[in-house]
Amino acid sequence: MSEYPRRRRVVSRGTIRDDVERELESHVQMRTDELMQDGWSREEAEAEARRLLGPRAEIARQCESISRSHERVARRWRAMDTVVQDLKYATRTLLRSPGFAVVAVVTLALGIGANTAIFSVVDGVLLEPLPYPDSDELVRVHERNRDGGPMNVAWANFQDWRSESTVFDGLFAFGIGQTTVLGGERPLTTGVATMTQAMWATLAVAPVQGRFTLPEDHVPGAAPVVVVREGFWRNELGARPMDGLRLELNGVTATVVGVAPESLDFPVGSSLWVPAEILGPMSTSRTAHNWRVVGRLSEGVSAEGAEEQVDGLTRRIVQSEPDADPDYLATGALVRPLQDVMVGSARAPLLLLLGAAGVVLLIACTNLASTLLARGANRSRELAVRSSLGAGRGRLLRQLTTESLVLAAGGAIAGVALGSLLVALLKRLGPGSVPRLQSVAIDGSVLLYAVALSAGTAVLFGLLPAARLVRRSPVDDLRQGGRGNALGGRSAAWTLLVGSEVALALVLLVASGLLVRSFRSALAVDAGFDASDVITAPLSLSRVKYETPAEHAAFYRRIVSDLAEEPAIESVGVLSVIPLGRFFPTGRVELDDDLEKQANAGYVLASPGAFQALDIPLLEGRAFTERDEAGAPWVAIVSRSFADEYWPGEPAVGRTVSGGGMDDLWEERPFSRVVGVVGDVRFQELTGEARPTVYFPLAQRPFRIQFGSTLVAESASGDAATVGPLLRSMLQEADPDIPVSLATQEEIVGSSLAGREFTMLLLAGFSILAVILAVVGIYGVVSYSVATRTKEMGIRLALGADRRGVVELVMKSAMGMVAVGLLVGGVAAYFTGSVVEGMLYEVGPRDPMTLLGGVALLTLAATLASWFPAYSGTRVDPMVTMRAE
Amino acid sequence: MSKDSLELIKGTLDVVILKTLESGARHGYGISRWVRGATGDDLSIDEGALYPALRRLEKRGFVESEWGVSDTGRDAKFYRLTPEGRRELSQSVQHWERYVEAMSRVLGTAAGA
Repeated sequence: MSEYPRRRRVVSRGTIRDDVERELESHVQMRTDELMQDGWSREEAEAEARRLLGPRAEIARQCESISRSHERVARRWRAMDTVVQDLKYATRTLLRSPGFAVVAVVTLALGIGANTAIFSVVDGVLLEPLPYPDSDELVRVHERNRDGGPMNVAWANFQDWRSESTVFDGLFAFGIGQTTVLGGERPLTTGVATMTQAMWATLAVAPVQGRFTLPEDHVPGAAPVVVVREGFWRNELGARPMDGLRLELNGVTATVVGVAPESLDFPVGSSLWVPAEILGPMSTSRTAHNWRVVGRLSEGVSAEGAEEQVDGLTRRIVQSEPDADPDYLATGALVRPLQDVMVGSARAPLLLLLGAAGVVLLIACTNLASTLLARGANRSRELAVRSSLGAGRGRLLRQLTTESLVLAAGGAIAGVALGSLLVALLKRLGPGSVPRLQSVAIDGSVLLYAVALSAGTAVLFGLLPAARLVRRSPVDDLRQGGRGNALGGRSAAWTLLVGSEVALALVLLVASGLLVRSFRSALAVDAGFDASDVITAPLSLSRVKYETPAEHAAFYRRIVSDLAEEPAIESVGVLSVIPLGRFFPTGRVELDDDLEKQANAGYVLASPGAFQALDIPLLEGRAFTERDEAGAPWVAIVSRSFADEYWPGEPAVGRTVSGGGMDDLWEERPFSRVVGVVGDVRFQELTGEARPTVYFPLAQRPFRIQFGSTLVAESASGDAATVGPLLRSMLQEADPDIPVSLATQEEIVGSSLAGREFTMLLLAGFSILAVILAVVGIYGVVSYSVATRTKEMGIRLALGADRRGVVELVMKSAMGMVAVGLLVGGVAAYFTGSVVEGMLYEVGPRDPMTLLGGVALLTLAATLASWFPAYSGTRVDPMVTMRAE
Repeated sequence: MSKDSLELIKGTLDVVILKTLESGARHGYGISRWVRGATGDDLSIDEGALYPALRRLEKRGFVESEWGVSDTGRDAKFYRLTPEGRRELSQSVQHWERYVEAMSRVLGTAAGA
């Protein structure tokens, strides 16, 4: 392969000169010899020889320069040659023990694959900038609540910010809701954003087709227009031309004026954008926190600088509102980078998972390091032979490192392949609560990460064993017959490797154990209702077809009574909001016929059958009946915690409560008599406290129904899914324009835990992987130890030791190493519990049961992993093993 | 070396060196002596050019070298053809034979005209 001879000795700079001088001198001497044979005297002969040679210094200089340049080129070739040789040799060596190579590559692939997958999610979700120009200038602006935390913004405050602040290059308000849209291919419910016009300029996006909304579209009374997202336009509108395209949104007919790029997922989940101002006159109340606000910082303004100004501005504004309830007034403002706010809740679990994947990789490395160490000991004779044949230590070290690199490269390729499978899986199974999950991909930065990771692991798992091997004197190894000195002389290294594997696995096991226990407690929570056999259908009627609240109410009455007659349906009702759904309105209500006596409560409208369908227990008084209709005496039901909190020790039935700020009955402000008390229902969060809640009969507040309600039906057979087709066909029959999307209440409960479940499952997966790797590692080390001690064991057995004693001996040393790991890991797990603290529910971060469970599980696994090789090691006939020497 | 011996034509030194090594390893002095002997002192090598030429050939991979002891008991650096050198020699020889043939045809024709 080389143009240059390979087998040349390395000649250093000094020796090239010597070589030339020596050669020329030898020439002179030989010539002198010949001349002297012709009869010349020595002096004359030598002088003549030198004369014939010519200008010696010049010749020497030429020779030296040629040889030196030759040497430089040859050295480069030699280096490459060595690399190729090393690679060939490494591959050959690895192929000689394919079992080892496969296990090593698979181990690495698992570690690298897990890391690549999680990192690509972290990269796509947390690190990659938002898809807007100069997206680091975008900030979310919140009002500050009484506790200093963020809350949404009152329209009046937004107006003042917009007109008086000088730190923004664009500031807009927006909201998003699920709205029924008619006029497309089929009726459907989708995310519709309401926004102010500055959104387009602030985010700096351009339309794909048509135009965005203009300032004149954003005035009260303007003809309603709508901008649609590209995917919606293609799928639901058949990509028809803009001309005259109209959609009906909640009874408002809007003209489609333009198409926004599919990449504009803002606010998250929007398919349509409509001007906020066409909703009618905005509330002037500074306590109606209905809007979210995003701005673009002016050049040179930091988020902190902007906050200083907006915060001061807000404090001045609220001082001019002495009448407003100070509990609900802003105490200032917060300005935070938009990206931080958007990914906020996903950050902690993702970083936790990245850490866990890192731990798995560390265990994989430790495993390989111990395997290589064991292999190395068996290979010490080979290395000693090579060393005594002239291979330098550097050369041997390079050879061993090359082997590690070949393994790491194999692991990297398999790992990236595995990683991309995992990413696809994560995208399918990942909860909707992780923002931007769908845009995650294995891209350049992820590949770079994988390569860096693999190189790092190669150094990590390869260097220690290599360094140990090369440091040893070859003579010792040759003298010992290449047996190595087994575990004995190196027990510290083995303890370090096995111990760290066990410790790392224990930390992961405990962390995931804590999450599993939290998840189980969350599932075991008494939510206050029975979801098991209930199907739900969120409904939203066209406000064109059903013009008045009474018509809406009539539709619901009819469908409920139709469904109630079906034998497959046990009970059926309507709720304005369902437990653990997307949304739960809470606010101020008034008590005891006194507008000054205020309480804070959840606000739910219910039809008579709803409590029965969800099995919400009636504790006192009576439930709603068909007679609690419009015109009948105003009635209400309160939850147990509401009664306990506001009428402690007194009967709640007979008291009165108003709908307060959430009612649409502004003029009347009727107080409703409490007729019953029901059990607490966790409407908002399974893992949160149930809020005091007030229920009113839907029939007495029909105005609300126009904004959509949910039908809840309990199956008679106990299986909710069987009622689905019936419910669907009856709804379609009643009104084909109603979009029907069914979900069992159990699915809704499940999806409220999806984020928790996702993190738990992944972490549990990682910890199982960690335990398996640790078990494989312990098994490997003990097998090796037994293999190198067969002679000793043979002697022991021959001298009459019983097998059990020998097994115990081996296990004792193995479990000693494991114990060190458990001790260190236990201490580490005790402290790392606080890392997951924020994700725990009803389990302490230092839960002793979880810790003990982890220790017990690992002890059992380690015992089995060391018992098998120890036991099988003693099965061998002692005479055979002794002769094998 | 006689005064009227021919100087080597430029560019022929390399092929002459390779040829001298065809039968086996030689040291630099041995090469110059062999050339003188083989040509009956008709050709002489400029010894000052011999050694740089040897190292150039070594750099190109046509020869390789090793220190040894001469038959007169002197310390000497021996050069030997590599397989590449042998190939180069046979190509050069063919080239030279064609060259010489062509030259003598040209010169012969001119003389005979």
